[in-house]
Amino acid sequence: MAASMLRRVSVCASRFSLGTLRIQAGFLHGNTGNEFRSAYSLEKIYPNSSFNYGSRAVGGGQQTDSDIPVDRLTITYCRSSGPGGQNVNKVNTKAEVRFHIQTADWIPEDVRQKIISQHTNRINRSGELIVTSEVSRYQMRNLSDCLQKIRDMIAAASVKHKQPSQEDVALRRYR
Amino acid sequence: MSVPKNTGGKGLDLLRNLPRISLANLRPNPGAKKAEKRRGRGAHGGSRSGRGHKGQRQRGNRPRLGFEGGQTPFYLVIPKYGYNEGHSRKPQYQPLSLNRLQYLIDLGRIDPTQPIDLTQLVNGRGVTVQPLKRDYGVQLVEEGADTFCAKVNIEVQMASECAIAAIEKNGGIITTGFYDPRSLSLLCKPVPFFMRGQPIPKRMLPGEDLVPYYTDSKNRGYLSDPAKIQQARLELARKYGYVLPDVTKDELFHMLTTRKDPRQIFFGLAPGWVVNMAEKKILKPTDEKLLSYYSS
Repeated sequence: MAASMLRRVSVCASRFSLGTLRIQAGFLHGNTGNEFRSAYSLEKIYPNSSFNYGSRAVGGGQQTDSDIPVDRLTITYCRSSGPGGQNVNKVNTKAEVRFHIQTADWIPEDVRQKIISQHTNRINRSGELIVTSEVSRYQMRNLSDCLQKIRDMIAAASVKHKQPSQEDVALRRYR
Repeated sequence: MSVPKNTGGKGLDLLRNLPRISLANLRPNPGAKKAEKRRGRGAHGGSRSGRGHKGQRQRGNRPRLGFEGGQTPFYLVIPKYGYNEGHSRKPQYQPLSLNRLQYLIDLGRIDPTQPIDLTQLVNGRGVTVQPLKRDYGVQLVEEGADTFCAKVNIEVQMASECAIAAIEKNGGIITTGFYDPRSLSLLCKPVPFFMRGQPIPKRMLPGEDLVPYYTDSKNRGYLSDPAKIQQARLELARKYGYVLPDVTKDELFHMLTTRKDPRQIFFGLAPGWVVNMAEKKILKPTDEKLLSYYSS
């Protein structure tokens, strides 16, 4: 049955290896190595979308405010505490993040002061805020946990209580 | 590399020159037919005929499989419970740790300068996947994320978030793709399939349960929106505290951005093609109905 279907077949000698990948001009949705596009190829499902593998977002760096500049932090890894035998003795999984809080201009001034007042116990003599984490078995996870803790600290310090307006004050006094 | 002048080649030449084939000049290859052991005949098959000495064994009265002599058998002692329901039908994904991947790359069993596929992993004997045992592929696991340092373009079936972060941190690209069981067995053992002479089938799309997984850019699904993938990459870099490397500046950019079409099983081969291993040729269909079927 297959033979009869392929009656008008074109025989072409072609090489099997992937070594000859043709350079595609106008790379948009990724190359499949042979220009095969089915009905479900990404071009057809998402017609206006295209890949972007740069190191920035398409519309420029929008998240600079909530972003922590990792190159301004000092990250060190050391061995964690607790049970675990040879693995915990040898593997450096505890992540420690330090940064000088006073010169951290990526945090707004008032938030910075709030953090200093709330977390004096985490700040050492040379004025560095220290955050550690040894919650998981992976350095990457522990580092992300430290960064999340820093973000939480900033968020907690940025909370502004709503000042009651004049009307509210008057109403309260009335009542 | 010379193309043979006549199709059929040596076989047809032999047919022309040798005498007519008849039962008198046919014989199986030596060692192809092994004589069977006939029970109940002669010194070695006779006497007790391979049944042992007396008892239920010799008299053919052994109890059913699983019977433990009256003790409640294992398969009845264990209570049924809801979370085990359909256990033999649940899809399984063979784990592949980043430790193992790094080990394979270091030993040279996997080539990081080519896109890494399940075929490459099986060829390098990195994982063993059994499509017939409800394996649906390979999942990337983050064990060894801290010491992983290879830049690869890898396609797996599932991946954990930390594993995705580890790959992208080193400038690689990771995609998760779905393979239905037939496509998966083709992917694991391509050469026996090519020997069959059947056209390459098209890969089926995921079932209802898995569509949300593969259309989510957080999982780097192969059906997800390309524009959202970059957003997901940046978010992950923010979460795990590394600088996202710029893949466009890489010399292997073309290799790293190679992706399969959702209906494609093999890199460089499209559905509908027939691969002739013996003569190293590929046959492509030209009929419109076939072409429209295979590209649908």
